[in-house]
Amino acid sequence: MDRLPQEALNLIKNSETIKILTTVDEDGNPHAAFREDLTVQDDGNLAFGEPFEGSQTNVNLVRSLWFDKKVELTLRDRSGTTFQIIGKPYRYAHSGPLFKKFYLAEREKRGADSELAGVWIIKPEEVRNETYDVRKKEEDEKHPFFRHFDRASVRKVKS
Amino acid sequence: MSEQNHDLGFQQLVEKYPDFPQLLIRKLDSEVRGVVMSERAIKQAQEEGALFIASGADVGQEASRPVFGGAFFRDGSWVLGMEPMFLQFPEGYTRKGNTYTIDTIDGRSWLFDGKTPVEEVFFAPYPAHFGKKTRRGTPMMKMVSARFPGLLFIYLYNRCCFWADQMQCKYCSFPTRVFKRKPGFSQEDLDDLQETMDEVLKDTGKWMNIVLLAGSELSGPAPFDNEVAEYVKVLTTLKKTFGTEKVYAKMVASAFSRDQMLRLKDAGATTYQPHIEVWDKKLFEWICPGKTKYFGRQYWIDSALAAVEIFGRGRVCTQFVGGVEMMQPYGFKTIDEALASTLEGAEFFASHGVGPIAIMHRLETGSVFYTQHQKLAPLEYHLRLMKGISALHRKYNLSVDFNNYRCHPTGDLDRLHTAHITNELIAGGTS
Repeated sequence: MDRLPQEALNLIKNSETIKILTTVDEDGNPHAAFREDLTVQDDGNLAFGEPFEGSQTNVNLVRSLWFDKKVELTLRDRSGTTFQIIGKPYRYAHSGPLFKKFYLAEREKRGADSELAGVWIIKPEEVRNETYDVRKKEEDEKHPFFRHFDRASVRKVKS
Repeated sequence: MSEQNHDLGFQQLVEKYPDFPQLLIRKLDSEVRGVVMSERAIKQAQEEGALFIASGADVGQEASRPVFGGAFFRDGSWVLGMEPMFLQFPEGYTRKGNTYTIDTIDGRSWLFDGKTPVEEVFFAPYPAHFGKKTRRGTPMMKMVSARFPGLLFIYLYNRCCFWADQMQCKYCSFPTRVFKRKPGFSQEDLDDLQETMDEVLKDTGKWMNIVLLAGSELSGPAPFDNEVAEYVKVLTTLKKTFGTEKVYAKMVASAFSRDQMLRLKDAGATTYQPHIEVWDKKLFEWICPGKTKYFGRQYWIDSALAAVEIFGRGRVCTQFVGGVEMMQPYGFKTIDEALASTLEGAEFFASHGVGPIAIMHRLETGSVFYTQHQKLAPLEYHLRLMKGISALHRKYNLSVDFNNYRCHPTGDLDRLHTAHITNELIAGGTS
Protein backbone atom coordinates (compact mmCIF):
# COMPACT_ATOMS: atom_id res chain seq x y z
CA MET A 1 0.00 0.00 0.00
CA ASP A 2 0.99 3.66 -0.24
CA ARG A 3 2.34 5.35 2.82
CA LEU A 4 0.09 5.63 5.84
CA PRO A 5 -1.96 8.87 5.94
CA GLN A 6 -0.42 11.71 7.92
CA GLU A 7 -3.17 11.54 10.54
CA ALA A 8 -2.30 7.91 11.28
CA LEU A 9 1.41 8.74 11.38
CA ASN A 10 0.68 11.51 13.87
CA LEU A 11 -1.22 9.07 16.05
CA ILE A 12 1.71 6.63 16.04
CA LYS A 13 4.16 9.39 16.96
CA ASN A 14 1.97 10.62 19.83
CA SER A 15 3.18 8.98 23.05
CA GLU A 16 -0.30 9.33 24.59
CA THR A 17 -1.99 7.31 21.85
CA ILE A 18 -3.32 3.93 22.91
CA LYS A 19 -1.85 1.30 20.56
CA ILE A 20 -3.25 -2.22 20.56
CA LEU A 21 -2.07 -5.17 18.48
CA THR A 22 -4.49 -8.02 17.85
CA THR A 23 -3.35 -11.42 16.67
CA VAL A 24 -4.99 -14.83 16.50
CA ASP A 25 -3.78 -18.26 17.55
CA GLU A 26 -4.00 -21.48 15.54
CA ASP A 27 -7.64 -21.99 16.58
CA GLY A 28 -8.64 -18.44 15.69
CA ASN A 29 -8.77 -17.20 19.29
CA PRO A 30 -7.98 -13.48 19.36
CA HIS A 31 -5.30 -12.01 21.58
CA ALA A 32 -4.83 -8.26 22.11
CA ALA A 33 -1.78 -6.54 23.62
CA PHE A 34 -0.63 -2.93 24.12
CA ARG A 35 2.29 -1.80 21.95
CA GLU A 36 3.48 1.48 23.43
CA ASP A 37 6.74 1.53 21.47
CA LEU A 38 5.14 1.26 18.02
CA THR A 39 7.06 3.34 15.49
CA VAL A 40 7.13 3.95 11.76
CA GLN A 41 10.32 3.06 9.91
CA ASP A 42 11.76 5.14 7.04
CA ASP A 43 10.37 2.66 4.52
CA GLY A 44 6.83 3.01 5.90
CA ASN A 45 6.80 -0.30 7.74
CA LEU A 46 5.80 -0.44 11.40
CA ALA A 47 8.08 -1.70 14.17
CA PHE A 48 7.63 -2.57 17.82
CA GLY A 49 9.55 -4.46 20.46
CA GLU A 50 8.46 -7.82 21.87
CA PRO A 51 9.60 -8.25 25.47
CA PHE A 52 8.99 -11.99 25.79
CA GLU A 53 9.84 -14.80 23.40
CA GLY A 54 7.17 -17.02 24.97
CA SER A 55 4.29 -14.54 24.91
CA GLN A 56 1.07 -15.46 23.13
CA THR A 57 1.51 -12.41 20.94
CA ASN A 58 4.95 -13.55 19.85
CA VAL A 59 3.79 -17.07 19.11
CA ASN A 60 0.86 -15.74 17.09
CA LEU A 61 3.12 -13.38 15.16
CA VAL A 62 5.51 -16.20 14.28
CA ARG A 63 2.57 -18.25 13.02
CA SER A 64 1.27 -15.27 11.03
CA LEU A 65 4.65 -14.72 9.38
CA TRP A 66 5.07 -18.38 8.53
CA PHE A 67 1.57 -18.86 7.16
CA ASP A 68 1.01 -15.44 5.60
CA LYS A 69 -1.74 -14.31 8.00
CA LYS A 70 -2.73 -10.77 8.90
CA VAL A 71 -2.61 -8.91 12.19
CA GLU A 72 -4.37 -5.73 13.25
CA LEU A 73 -3.33 -2.57 15.07
CA THR A 74 -5.78 -0.14 16.65
CA LEU A 75 -4.67 3.39 17.51
CA ARG A 76 -6.73 5.90 19.48
CA ASP A 77 -5.80 9.26 20.98
CA ARG A 78 -7.43 11.28 23.76
CA SER A 79 -9.68 13.15 21.30
CA GLY A 80 -11.10 9.88 19.99
CA THR A 81 -9.31 9.91 16.67
CA THR A 82 -9.02 6.21 15.84
CA PHE A 83 -7.23 4.32 13.09
CA GLN A 84 -7.09 0.63 12.29
CA ILE A 85 -4.11 -0.75 10.40
CA ILE A 86 -4.10 -4.24 8.96
CA GLY A 87 -0.84 -5.76 7.87
CA LYS A 88 1.40 -8.79 7.80
CA PRO A 89 4.45 -9.54 9.92
CA TYR A 90 7.45 -9.30 7.60
CA ARG A 91 10.43 -9.72 9.87
CA TYR A 92 11.46 -10.59 13.43
CA ALA A 93 14.85 -9.07 14.28
CA HIS A 94 16.75 -10.23 17.34
CA SER A 95 20.18 -9.05 16.25
CA GLY A 96 21.66 -6.05 14.50
CA PRO A 97 21.26 -2.26 14.72
CA LEU A 98 17.44 -2.11 14.70
CA PHE A 99 17.17 -4.65 17.50
CA LYS A 100 19.87 -2.92 19.51
CA LYS A 101 18.08 0.43 19.28
CA PHE A 102 14.86 -1.03 20.70
CA TYR A 103 16.76 -3.13 23.23
CA LEU A 104 18.60 -0.16 24.68
CA ALA A 105 15.38 1.86 24.83
CA GLU A 106 13.64 -0.94 26.71
CA ARG A 107 16.53 -1.23 29.17
CA GLU A 108 16.49 2.51 29.68
CA LYS A 109 12.77 2.43 30.35
CA ARG A 110 12.43 -0.66 32.52
CA GLY A 111 15.81 -1.07 34.18
CA ALA A 112 18.69 -3.49 34.56
CA ASP A 113 16.70 -6.73 34.64
CA SER A 114 14.43 -5.92 31.70
CA GLU A 115 14.33 -8.04 28.56
CA LEU A 116 13.59 -7.53 24.92
CA ALA A 117 13.28 -10.70 22.86
CA GLY A 118 13.05 -9.10 19.43
CA VAL A 119 11.61 -6.44 17.18
CA TRP A 120 8.71 -7.12 14.85
CA ILE A 121 8.33 -5.40 11.49
CA ILE A 122 4.80 -5.20 10.09
CA LYS A 123 4.06 -4.28 6.48
CA PRO A 124 0.78 -2.30 6.44
CA GLU A 125 -1.64 -3.46 3.77
CA GLU A 126 -4.77 -1.54 4.65
CA VAL A 127 -5.62 1.45 6.83
CA ARG A 128 -9.04 2.65 7.99
CA ASN A 129 -10.06 5.78 9.80
CA GLU A 130 -12.29 4.45 12.59
CA THR A 131 -12.94 7.80 14.26
CA TYR A 132 -16.62 7.99 15.26
CA ASP A 133 -17.60 11.03 13.17
CA VAL A 134 -15.81 9.72 10.10
CA ARG A 135 -17.37 6.28 10.36
CA LYS A 136 -20.84 7.74 11.03
CA LYS A 137 -20.65 9.78 7.85
CA GLU A 138 -19.53 6.74 5.84
CA GLU A 139 -22.25 4.52 7.27
CA ASP A 140 -24.98 7.07 6.72
CA GLU A 141 -24.02 7.35 3.08
CA LYS A 142 -23.68 3.60 2.54
CA HIS A 143 -26.56 2.39 4.72
CA PRO A 144 -29.18 5.16 5.04
CA PHE A 145 -31.88 2.61 5.97
CA PHE A 146 -30.01 1.57 9.11
CA ARG A 147 -30.83 4.86 10.88
CA HIS A 148 -33.43 5.15 13.64
CA PHE A 149 -36.16 7.67 12.96
CA ASP A 150 -35.16 9.60 16.08
CA ARG A 151 -32.05 10.89 14.41
CA ALA A 152 -31.87 14.50 13.29
CA SER A 153 -30.66 13.53 9.84
CA VAL A 154 -33.86 11.47 9.28
CA ARG A 155 -36.56 13.48 10.99
CA LYS A 156 -36.88 17.10 11.92
CA VAL A 157 -37.35 17.19 15.63
CA LYS A 158 -39.26 20.15 17.03
CA SER A 159 -37.17 21.92 19.63
CA MET B 1 16.35 -45.40 -3.86
CA SER B 2 13.15 -47.22 -3.12
CA GLU B 3 9.62 -46.21 -4.05
CA GLN B 4 9.05 -44.76 -0.57
CA ASN B 5 12.19 -42.69 -0.66
CA HIS B 6 11.86 -40.09 -3.42
CA ASP B 7 14.29 -37.24 -3.02
CA LEU B 8 11.74 -34.42 -3.20
CA GLY B 9 12.95 -30.87 -3.71
CA PHE B 10 11.85 -27.62 -2.12
CA GLN B 11 8.79 -26.92 -4.29
CA GLN B 12 7.51 -30.47 -4.11
CA LEU B 13 7.75 -30.41 -0.33
CA VAL B 14 5.98 -27.07 -0.13
CA GLU B 15 3.08 -28.65 -2.01
CA LYS B 16 3.15 -31.91 -0.04
CA TYR B 17 3.34 -30.27 3.42
CA PRO B 18 1.19 -27.12 3.37
CA ASP B 19 1.08 -27.14 7.18
CA PHE B 20 4.87 -26.88 7.40
CA PRO B 21 6.31 -23.34 7.18
CA GLN B 22 7.72 -22.77 3.71
CA LEU B 23 10.44 -20.61 5.15
CA LEU B 24 11.68 -23.48 7.28
CA ILE B 25 11.77 -25.82 4.29
CA ARG B 26 13.99 -23.19 2.69
CA LYS B 27 16.16 -23.17 5.79
CA LEU B 28 16.56 -26.96 5.76
CA ASP B 29 17.21 -26.89 2.02
CA SER B 30 19.96 -24.29 2.49
CA GLU B 31 21.81 -26.74 4.73
CA VAL B 32 21.41 -29.61 2.26
CA ARG B 33 22.48 -27.56 -0.79
CA GLY B 34 24.93 -25.14 0.83
CA VAL B 35 25.11 -21.34 0.51
CA VAL B 36 27.88 -19.14 -0.90
CA MET B 37 28.16 -15.35 -0.93
CA SER B 38 28.68 -13.27 -4.07
CA GLU B 39 31.50 -10.69 -4.08
CA ARG B 40 28.85 -7.98 -3.76
CA ALA B 41 27.36 -9.66 -0.71
CA ILE B 42 30.78 -10.05 0.89
CA LYS B 43 31.43 -6.34 0.34
CA GLN B 44 28.02 -5.49 1.78
CA ALA B 45 28.64 -7.73 4.79
CA GLN B 46 31.95 -5.97 5.42
CA GLU B 47 30.26 -2.57 5.21
CA GLU B 48 27.63 -3.72 7.71
CA GLY B 49 30.28 -5.05 10.12
CA ALA B 50 29.19 -8.63 9.52
CA LEU B 51 32.42 -10.02 8.11
CA PHE B 52 35.72 -10.14 9.93
CA ILE B 53 38.99 -11.07 8.27
CA ALA B 54 40.86 -13.07 10.89
CA SER B 55 44.62 -13.04 10.48
CA GLY B 56 46.52 -16.29 10.21
CA ALA B 57 47.93 -15.61 13.69
CA ASP B 58 44.41 -15.21 15.07
CA VAL B 59 43.30 -18.61 13.85
CA GLY B 60 46.60 -20.46 14.10
CA GLN B 61 47.18 -21.04 10.40
CA GLU B 62 49.19 -19.43 7.62
CA ALA B 63 46.44 -17.73 5.66
CA SER B 64 43.87 -15.24 6.87
CA ARG B 65 40.29 -16.43 7.00
CA PRO B 66 37.00 -14.54 6.59
CA VAL B 67 34.70 -15.09 9.54
CA PHE B 68 31.05 -14.29 9.04
CA GLY B 69 28.71 -12.91 11.69
CA GLY B 70 25.86 -14.90 10.17
CA ALA B 71 22.72 -14.32 8.15
CA PHE B 72 19.16 -14.84 9.13
CA PHE B 73 15.83 -15.17 7.41
CA ARG B 74 12.89 -12.82 7.96
CA ASP B 75 11.59 -14.90 10.86
CA GLY B 76 14.89 -14.68 12.74
CA SER B 77 15.95 -18.24 11.93
CA TRP B 78 19.48 -18.70 10.69
CA VAL B 79 20.56 -19.34 7.14
CA LEU B 80 22.30 -22.70 7.31
CA GLY B 81 24.71 -24.22 4.84
CA MET B 82 27.47 -21.63 5.43
CA GLU B 83 29.69 -23.65 7.79
CA PRO B 84 32.99 -22.82 6.04
CA MET B 85 32.46 -19.19 7.05
CA PHE B 86 32.40 -20.01 10.77
CA LEU B 87 35.32 -20.91 12.96
CA GLN B 88 33.87 -24.13 14.29
CA PHE B 89 33.87 -26.03 11.05
CA PRO B 90 36.19 -27.41 8.40
CA GLU B 91 36.03 -26.14 4.83
CA GLY B 92 35.01 -29.17 2.78
CA TYR B 93 31.46 -30.52 2.50
CA THR B 94 29.50 -32.85 0.30
CA ARG B 95 26.24 -31.08 -0.50
CA LYS B 96 23.34 -32.03 -2.70
CA GLY B 97 21.80 -30.08 -5.61
CA ASN B 98 22.58 -26.53 -6.72
CA THR B 99 24.23 -24.25 -4.21
CA TYR B 100 22.26 -21.19 -3.09
CA THR B 101 23.89 -17.76 -3.37
CA ILE B 102 23.49 -14.67 -1.22
CA ASP B 103 23.69 -11.55 -3.34
CA THR B 104 23.05 -7.89 -2.61
CA ILE B 105 20.90 -5.61 -4.74
CA ASP B 106 20.46 -1.92 -3.89
CA GLY B 107 21.71 -2.49 -0.37
CA ARG B 108 19.35 -5.39 0.39
CA SER B 109 20.56 -8.96 0.51
CA TRP B 110 18.72 -11.96 -0.87
CA LEU B 111 19.06 -15.70 -1.01
CA PHE B 112 19.12 -16.68 -4.67
CA ASP B 113 18.07 -20.04 -6.07
CA GLY B 114 19.82 -19.83 -9.44
CA LYS B 115 18.91 -16.40 -10.76
CA THR B 116 15.77 -16.06 -8.67
CA PRO B 117 15.76 -14.15 -5.38
CA VAL B 118 13.70 -16.36 -3.05
CA GLU B 119 14.08 -14.81 0.42
CA GLU B 120 15.42 -11.58 1.82
CA VAL B 121 18.18 -12.24 4.35
CA PHE B 122 19.81 -10.04 6.95
CA PHE B 123 23.39 -9.99 8.18
CA ALA B 124 24.41 -10.15 11.81
CA PRO B 125 27.35 -8.15 13.13
CA TYR B 126 30.45 -10.17 13.95
CA PRO B 127 31.34 -10.29 17.65
CA ALA B 128 32.99 -7.11 18.92
CA HIS B 129 35.78 -9.03 20.68
CA PHE B 130 37.06 -10.53 17.41
CA GLY B 131 40.43 -9.01 16.61
CA LYS B 132 41.16 -8.13 20.23
CA LYS B 133 43.79 -9.81 22.39
CA THR B 134 44.10 -10.53 26.08
CA ARG B 135 46.87 -8.87 28.12
CA ARG B 136 48.85 -12.05 27.56
CA GLY B 137 48.49 -11.61 23.80
CA THR B 138 46.03 -14.44 23.19
CA PRO B 139 43.48 -13.72 20.42
CA MET B 140 40.15 -13.46 22.21
CA MET B 141 38.37 -15.22 19.35
CA LYS B 142 40.51 -18.23 20.15
CA MET B 143 39.22 -18.33 23.72
CA VAL B 144 35.59 -17.67 22.89
CA SER B 145 34.22 -17.92 19.37
CA ALA B 146 30.65 -17.74 18.12
CA ARG B 147 28.31 -19.62 15.85
CA PHE B 148 24.70 -18.57 15.53
CA PRO B 149 25.06 -14.88 16.20
CA GLY B 150 23.70 -15.03 19.74
CA LEU B 151 25.62 -18.15 20.74
CA LEU B 152 29.08 -18.07 22.30
CA PHE B 153 31.25 -21.10 21.74
CA ILE B 154 33.83 -22.27 24.24
CA TYR B 155 35.84 -25.24 23.12
CA LEU B 156 37.40 -26.75 26.20
CA TYR B 157 39.58 -28.78 23.87
CA ASN B 158 39.06 -30.61 20.64
CA ARG B 159 40.87 -33.81 21.37
CA CYS B 160 38.74 -36.94 21.67
CA CYS B 161 39.91 -40.27 23.03
CA PHE B 162 37.68 -42.07 20.58
CA TRP B 163 39.65 -40.52 17.73
CA ALA B 164 42.94 -41.44 19.39
CA ASP B 165 41.69 -45.05 19.46
CA GLN B 166 40.49 -44.71 15.84
CA MET B 167 37.02 -45.36 17.16
CA GLN B 168 35.53 -41.96 16.41
CA CYS B 169 31.90 -41.48 15.50
CA LYS B 170 31.74 -41.90 11.74
CA TYR B 171 30.11 -38.52 11.00
CA CYS B 172 32.53 -36.56 13.22
CA SER B 173 35.16 -34.07 12.07
CA PHE B 174 35.78 -32.60 15.51
CA PRO B 175 39.59 -32.68 15.78
CA THR B 176 40.07 -31.40 12.21
CA ARG B 177 38.40 -28.08 12.89
CA VAL B 178 40.01 -24.66 12.82
CA PHE B 179 41.03 -24.16 16.43
CA LYS B 180 43.17 -26.77 18.06
CA ARG B 181 43.23 -26.93 21.85
CA LYS B 182 44.72 -29.69 23.96
CA PRO B 183 43.02 -30.71 27.21
CA GLY B 184 44.18 -28.93 30.33
CA PHE B 185 43.31 -25.30 31.12
CA SER B 186 46.21 -23.68 33.01
CA GLN B 187 45.52 -20.78 35.37
CA GLU B 188 46.86 -18.45 32.67
CA ASP B 189 44.37 -19.93 30.18
CA LEU B 190 41.57 -19.38 32.64
CA ASP B 191 42.71 -15.78 33.18
CA ASP B 192 42.57 -15.34 29.40
CA LEU B 193 39.10 -16.85 29.37
CA GLN B 194 37.83 -14.55 32.08
CA GLU B 195 39.36 -11.48 30.45
CA THR B 196 37.79 -12.48 27.14
CA MET B 197 34.37 -13.09 28.68
CA ASP B 198 34.50 -9.74 30.47
CA GLU B 199 35.14 -8.13 27.08
CA VAL B 200 32.48 -10.24 25.33
CA LEU B 201 29.77 -9.11 27.73
CA LYS B 202 30.42 -5.44 26.93
CA ASP B 203 28.60 -6.13 23.65
CA THR B 204 25.17 -5.15 24.90
CA GLY B 205 22.15 -7.01 23.58
CA LYS B 206 24.22 -9.50 21.63
CA TRP B 207 24.50 -12.67 23.67
CA MET B 208 21.91 -15.05 25.08
CA ASN B 209 23.55 -18.49 24.99
CA ILE B 210 26.89 -20.19 25.58
CA VAL B 211 27.83 -23.69 24.61
CA LEU B 212 30.66 -25.51 26.36
CA LEU B 213 32.01 -28.31 24.23
CA ALA B 214 34.76 -30.91 24.47
CA GLY B 215 35.68 -34.32 23.15
CA SER B 216 35.46 -37.43 25.27
CA GLU B 217 38.40 -37.67 27.66
CA LEU B 218 38.68 -40.99 29.43
CA SER B 219 41.62 -40.19 31.70
CA GLY B 220 41.44 -39.55 35.43
CA PRO B 221 40.90 -41.57 38.61
CA ALA B 222 37.57 -42.65 37.16
CA PRO B 223 36.82 -42.56 33.43
CA PHE B 224 35.86 -39.04 32.30
CA ASP B 225 37.05 -37.49 35.60
CA ASN B 226 39.55 -35.24 33.83
CA GLU B 227 36.89 -34.14 31.34
CA VAL B 228 34.63 -33.22 34.23
CA ALA B 229 37.51 -31.34 35.88
CA GLU B 230 37.93 -29.19 32.77
CA TYR B 231 34.23 -28.32 32.74
CA VAL B 232 34.45 -27.43 36.43
CA LYS B 233 37.37 -25.07 35.74
CA VAL B 234 35.48 -23.29 32.97
CA LEU B 235 32.22 -23.12 34.91
CA THR B 236 34.06 -21.69 37.91
CA THR B 237 35.62 -19.03 35.68
CA LEU B 238 32.27 -18.18 34.12
CA LYS B 239 30.75 -17.81 37.59
CA LYS B 240 33.34 -15.12 38.28
CA THR B 241 32.44 -13.32 35.06
CA PHE B 242 28.71 -13.47 35.72
CA GLY B 243 28.99 -13.00 39.50
CA THR B 244 26.32 -15.67 39.98
CA GLU B 245 26.11 -19.16 41.45
CA LYS B 246 24.49 -20.60 38.34
CA VAL B 247 25.82 -20.46 34.80
CA TYR B 248 23.17 -20.42 32.09
CA ALA B 249 25.17 -22.35 29.54
CA LYS B 250 24.57 -25.51 27.61
CA MET B 251 27.07 -28.23 28.18
CA VAL B 252 27.69 -30.85 25.51
CA ALA B 253 29.69 -33.58 27.17
CA SER B 254 30.32 -37.29 27.58
CA ALA B 255 27.98 -39.52 29.55
CA PHE B 256 28.93 -38.97 33.16
CA SER B 257 28.19 -40.81 36.37
CA ARG B 258 25.78 -39.38 38.93
CA ASP B 259 28.71 -38.29 41.11
CA GLN B 260 30.34 -36.48 38.20
CA MET B 261 27.10 -34.71 37.33
CA LEU B 262 26.72 -33.55 40.93
CA ARG B 263 30.23 -32.10 40.74
CA LEU B 264 29.20 -30.14 37.67
CA LYS B 265 26.01 -28.91 39.29
CA ASP B 266 27.96 -27.75 42.32
CA ALA B 267 30.26 -25.86 39.94
CA GLY B 268 27.27 -23.95 38.54
CA ALA B 269 26.04 -26.09 35.63
CA THR B 270 22.33 -25.69 34.91
CA THR B 271 22.01 -28.00 31.91
CA TYR B 272 23.56 -31.13 30.53
CA GLN B 273 23.49 -33.00 27.25
CA PRO B 274 25.17 -36.34 26.63
CA HIS B 275 24.34 -37.16 23.01
CA ILE B 276 23.01 -40.54 21.97
CA GLU B 277 23.56 -39.64 18.27
CA VAL B 278 21.70 -42.65 16.79
CA TRP B 279 18.99 -44.81 18.35
CA ASP B 280 19.03 -48.17 16.60
CA LYS B 281 21.27 -50.47 18.65
CA LYS B 282 23.18 -52.06 15.77
CA LEU B 283 23.64 -48.75 13.99
CA PHE B 284 24.80 -47.13 17.23
CA GLU B 285 27.49 -49.79 17.53
CA TRP B 286 28.54 -49.32 13.89
CA ILE B 287 28.45 -45.51 13.80
CA CYS B 288 29.69 -44.78 17.34
CA PRO B 289 32.31 -47.46 18.10
CA GLY B 290 34.00 -45.34 20.77
CA LYS B 291 30.80 -44.78 22.70
CA THR B 292 30.04 -48.46 22.31
CA LYS B 293 33.37 -49.42 23.83
CA TYR B 294 33.19 -46.74 26.56
CA PHE B 295 30.72 -47.95 27.98
CA GLY B 296 27.95 -48.94 25.66
CA ARG B 297 24.62 -47.61 24.47
CA GLN B 298 22.77 -48.43 27.68
CA TYR B 299 25.33 -46.52 29.76
CA TRP B 300 24.82 -43.38 27.60
CA ILE B 301 21.04 -43.74 27.89
CA ASP B 302 21.15 -44.25 31.67
CA SER B 303 23.36 -41.21 32.11
CA ALA B 304 20.87 -38.95 30.32
CA LEU B 305 17.97 -40.34 32.34
CA ALA B 306 19.82 -39.95 35.65
CA ALA B 307 20.67 -36.36 34.73
CA VAL B 308 16.97 -35.41 34.84
CA GLU B 309 16.93 -36.16 38.57
CA ILE B 310 19.90 -33.85 39.05
CA PHE B 311 19.25 -30.97 36.64
CA GLY B 312 15.47 -31.26 36.25
CA ARG B 313 13.00 -31.63 33.39
CA GLY B 314 13.72 -29.24 30.55
CA ARG B 315 17.38 -28.99 31.55
CA VAL B 316 18.67 -32.20 29.96
CA CYS B 317 18.86 -32.95 26.24
CA THR B 318 20.16 -35.68 24.04
CA GLN B 319 20.85 -35.15 20.38
CA PHE B 320 20.37 -37.30 17.30
CA VAL B 321 22.50 -36.73 14.24
CA GLY B 322 19.58 -36.73 11.85
CA GLY B 323 20.25 -38.80 8.76
CA VAL B 324 23.22 -40.93 9.86
CA GLU B 325 20.89 -43.86 10.35
CA MET B 326 20.47 -43.86 6.55
CA MET B 327 24.19 -44.28 5.80
CA GLN B 328 25.03 -47.46 3.93
CA PRO B 329 25.54 -50.36 3.81
CA TYR B 330 24.00 -50.98 7.24
CA GLY B 331 21.62 -48.04 7.55
CA PHE B 332 17.89 -47.84 6.84
CA LYS B 333 16.90 -47.76 3.20
CA THR B 334 13.77 -45.64 3.49
CA ILE B 335 12.75 -42.42 5.19
CA ASP B 336 9.87 -44.19 6.92
CA GLU B 337 12.11 -46.81 8.51
CA ALA B 338 14.71 -44.26 9.57
CA LEU B 339 12.15 -41.96 11.15
CA ALA B 340 10.32 -44.81 12.86
CA SER B 341 13.55 -45.71 14.62
CA THR B 342 14.78 -42.22 15.49
CA LEU B 343 11.41 -40.94 16.65
CA GLU B 344 11.00 -44.08 18.76
CA GLY B 345 14.24 -43.13 20.49
CA ALA B 346 13.19 -39.50 20.76
CA GLU B 347 9.90 -40.50 22.36
CA PHE B 348 11.65 -42.82 24.78
CA PHE B 349 13.81 -39.95 26.01
CA ALA B 350 10.96 -37.41 26.06
CA SER B 351 8.82 -39.77 28.13
CA HIS B 352 11.65 -39.80 30.69
CA GLY B 353 12.04 -36.01 30.78
CA VAL B 354 15.07 -35.80 28.48
CA GLY B 355 14.48 -33.32 25.65
CA PRO B 356 15.31 -34.94 22.32
CA ILE B 357 16.87 -32.68 19.70
CA ALA B 358 18.37 -33.34 16.27
CA ILE B 359 20.88 -31.74 13.98
CA MET B 360 21.09 -32.27 10.25
CA HIS B 361 23.89 -34.63 9.38
CA ARG B 362 26.50 -32.90 7.24
CA LEU B 363 29.16 -34.73 5.28
CA GLU B 364 32.24 -32.88 6.54
CA THR B 365 35.88 -33.20 5.52
CA GLY B 366 37.71 -35.44 7.93
CA SER B 367 34.78 -37.65 8.82
CA VAL B 368 34.62 -41.34 7.92
CA PHE B 369 31.31 -40.92 6.10
CA TYR B 370 32.76 -38.08 4.00
CA THR B 371 35.67 -40.22 2.85
CA GLN B 372 33.23 -43.04 2.06
CA HIS B 373 31.31 -40.71 -0.31
CA GLN B 374 28.06 -41.43 1.47
CA LYS B 375 24.81 -39.78 0.32
CA LEU B 376 22.97 -37.27 2.47
CA ALA B 377 19.51 -38.16 3.74
CA PRO B 378 16.66 -36.66 1.68
CA LEU B 379 15.37 -33.19 2.51
CA GLU B 380 11.96 -34.69 3.31
CA TYR B 381 13.53 -36.79 6.06
CA HIS B 382 14.76 -33.63 7.81
CA LEU B 383 11.38 -31.93 7.47
CA ARG B 384 9.59 -34.88 9.02
CA LEU B 385 12.19 -35.27 11.75
CA MET B 386 11.88 -31.62 12.75
CA LYS B 387 8.12 -31.97 12.82
CA GLY B 388 8.20 -35.23 14.77
CA ILE B 389 10.57 -34.02 17.44
CA SER B 390 8.71 -30.76 18.00
CA ALA B 391 5.46 -32.73 18.34
CA LEU B 392 7.10 -34.82 21.08
CA HIS B 393 8.15 -31.70 22.99
CA ARG B 394 4.53 -30.63 22.91
CA LYS B 395 3.15 -34.06 23.78
CA TYR B 396 5.41 -34.41 26.82
CA ASN B 397 5.19 -30.73 27.87
CA LEU B 398 8.94 -30.49 27.58
CA SER B 399 10.86 -27.41 26.57
CA VAL B 400 14.40 -27.48 25.25
CA ASP B 401 14.85 -23.75 25.71
CA PHE B 402 18.60 -24.02 26.09
CA ASN B 403 18.64 -25.41 22.56
CA ASN B 404 16.13 -22.97 21.14
CA TYR B 405 16.05 -21.83 17.50
CA ARG B 406 18.55 -19.06 18.17
CA CYS B 407 21.29 -21.41 19.25
CA HIS B 408 20.37 -24.72 17.66
CA PRO B 409 19.80 -25.31 13.94
CA THR B 410 16.50 -27.19 14.08
CA GLY B 411 14.57 -25.90 17.11
CA ASP B 412 12.32 -23.62 15.06
CA LEU B 413 8.95 -25.37 15.21
CA ASP B 414 8.92 -25.14 19.01
CA ARG B 415 8.28 -21.42 18.53
CA LEU B 416 4.66 -22.33 17.84
CA HIS B 417 4.05 -23.82 21.28
CA THR B 418 6.62 -22.11 23.46
CA ALA B 419 3.84 -20.09 25.13
CA HIS B 420 2.30 -23.23 26.62
CA ILE B 421 5.18 -25.53 27.64
CA THR B 422 5.64 -25.68 31.43
CA ASN B 423 7.99 -28.67 31.88
CA GLU B 424 5.63 -30.14 34.46
CA LEU B 425 5.24 -33.90 34.37
CA ILE B 426 2.17 -35.04 32.47
CA ALA B 427 0.39 -38.37 32.24
CA GLY B 428 2.40 -40.81 30.18
CA GLY B 429 5.76 -39.45 31.26
CA THR B 430 7.92 -41.14 33.90
CA SER B 431 10.26 -38.40 34.98
